[in-house]
Amino acid sequence: MSATVILLIAEIWLWIGAAVAAVFLIWGIDRIDEDARGAYIFRPLLVPGILLIWPLVLWRWWLLETGRDRWQLRHVPPRRAHQAAAFVMAATVCAILLAGIANRQPWDRVIEPVQLSEAGP
Amino acid sequence: MSVKYIPVQWNQNKWFYDAVLLICIGVFVWIFLYVVPDWLDHGRPVDGAITNARAFGLCAFLMMTVILAIGPLARLDARFLPLLYNRRHFGVLTLFVALTHVGFILGWYFAFSPVGQVENLLSARTSWAQVAGFPFEFFGIFALLSLAVLAATSHDFWMKFLTPRIWKSLHYLIYPAYAAVVGHVAWGVLLDHRNQTLTWVILACAVVVVALHVMAALKDRAGGDAPAQAAKDGWVRIGTVDEIAEGRAKIAILPGGDRVAVFRHQGALSAISNACAHQNGPLGEGRIIDCLVTCPWHGFQYDVRTGQSPAPFTERVPTYAVALDGRHVLVDPTANPPGTPIDPVPVPEATQHG
Repeated sequence: MSATVILLIAEIWLWIGAAVAAVFLIWGIDRIDEDARGAYIFRPLLVPGILLIWPLVLWRWWLLETGRDRWQLRHVPPRRAHQAAAFVMAATVCAILLAGIANRQPWDRVIEPVQLSEAGP
Repeated sequence: MSVKYIPVQWNQNKWFYDAVLLICIGVFVWIFLYVVPDWLDHGRPVDGAITNARAFGLCAFLMMTVILAIGPLARLDARFLPLLYNRRHFGVLTLFVALTHVGFILGWYFAFSPVGQVENLLSARTSWAQVAGFPFEFFGIFALLSLAVLAATSHDFWMKFLTPRIWKSLHYLIYPAYAAVVGHVAWGVLLDHRNQTLTWVILACAVVVVALHVMAALKDRAGGDAPAQAAKDGWVRIGTVDEIAEGRAKIAILPGGDRVAVFRHQGALSAISNACAHQNGPLGEGRIIDCLVTCPWHGFQYDVRTGQSPAPFTERVPTYAVALDGRHVLVDPTANPPGTPIDPVPVPEATQHG
């Protein structure tokens, strides 16, 4: 995938996020969160987050609007996943670090720089 | 604790925490650039943008290291809990330090090209199949995007909107982000660095983070909360009243995986969810003062008899029905909706103590 395509996808992602942010912050947020009603100054702070994770925002908005949100899940912390995440991170950090150190490039400090145009054929 | 959302809930502790952080960042950059340039071998005549990029890059790496160390440190020793209190501000500041590093990198290494800086960055290196020459910039880009997601979703609104469960799952991004930053450094600057100091700094940081997380995980496994035992009529037994000191709680894992905290207060037992409504902090490790248990992580408070925060705050946690079978404490594992009042169960006189 070329750099141009990556940048185009990122641009489209952010434009959709901007549209979601506009609708959600002007209209939707008041419908699903009582603590947001009458509170406006904090809303611009939410824009970067909506730009980045707008699919998650749309999904949660839909759950709350349709009453499908399960309150029980709010009180079940993902503790087991935490241990797994910590062990995976530890193993990955060690592997990446060892691979990097094993591939260090030797560097001879005594080599003096040479002007290539003066070296001649 | 929330009533109406405001941009930032400042208080004296947060001002102090942030001021110390900013001073530490400034002092680190100053020392790096002017006091010990030889330590990291950038005393050679290179452009100022390069030394600035190195200073802010290493600063961001060290900040991520500290952020990742705070969690396990607080689990291993409660004296580190105050560091946890304002960790979100720490994360936001780390993003800005990392962005400063990126600004210097783009403004020097990728500025002199007919294409844009970011496009130049994305296409500069393509040796994906080998460590030497690997486009280590992508490790950094991934880490930067992860930090951006974490910082952008750090307002309390996000925790309530996404639920603490999803919010915390999203914030697990810090783990792959740290691994990516280690890769960014180890497969980038460390490959041809002529000074060993940076290598030892990176190694030491990685070892500290890995060791602390493994130690904390092993401690959780060895001395974690005990599972509740099945009793009659679908209730579960979590222990005896003698195990619960006055003003404290016993935590038990219910059959469904939830944790319940059974408190003993003024000679009576009450049970609420162990997970704080804010960030799912362990309420059962908090103390009761005036019927209110205080979450050890961020100070949110709940009445143990109702699961409700004191007015005007609106946070609520589920409650559980409690009963006594002799000296055994029984709990109905079916949670009541958050904020449901439950009558406390008096502890018989013969077993009162503590």
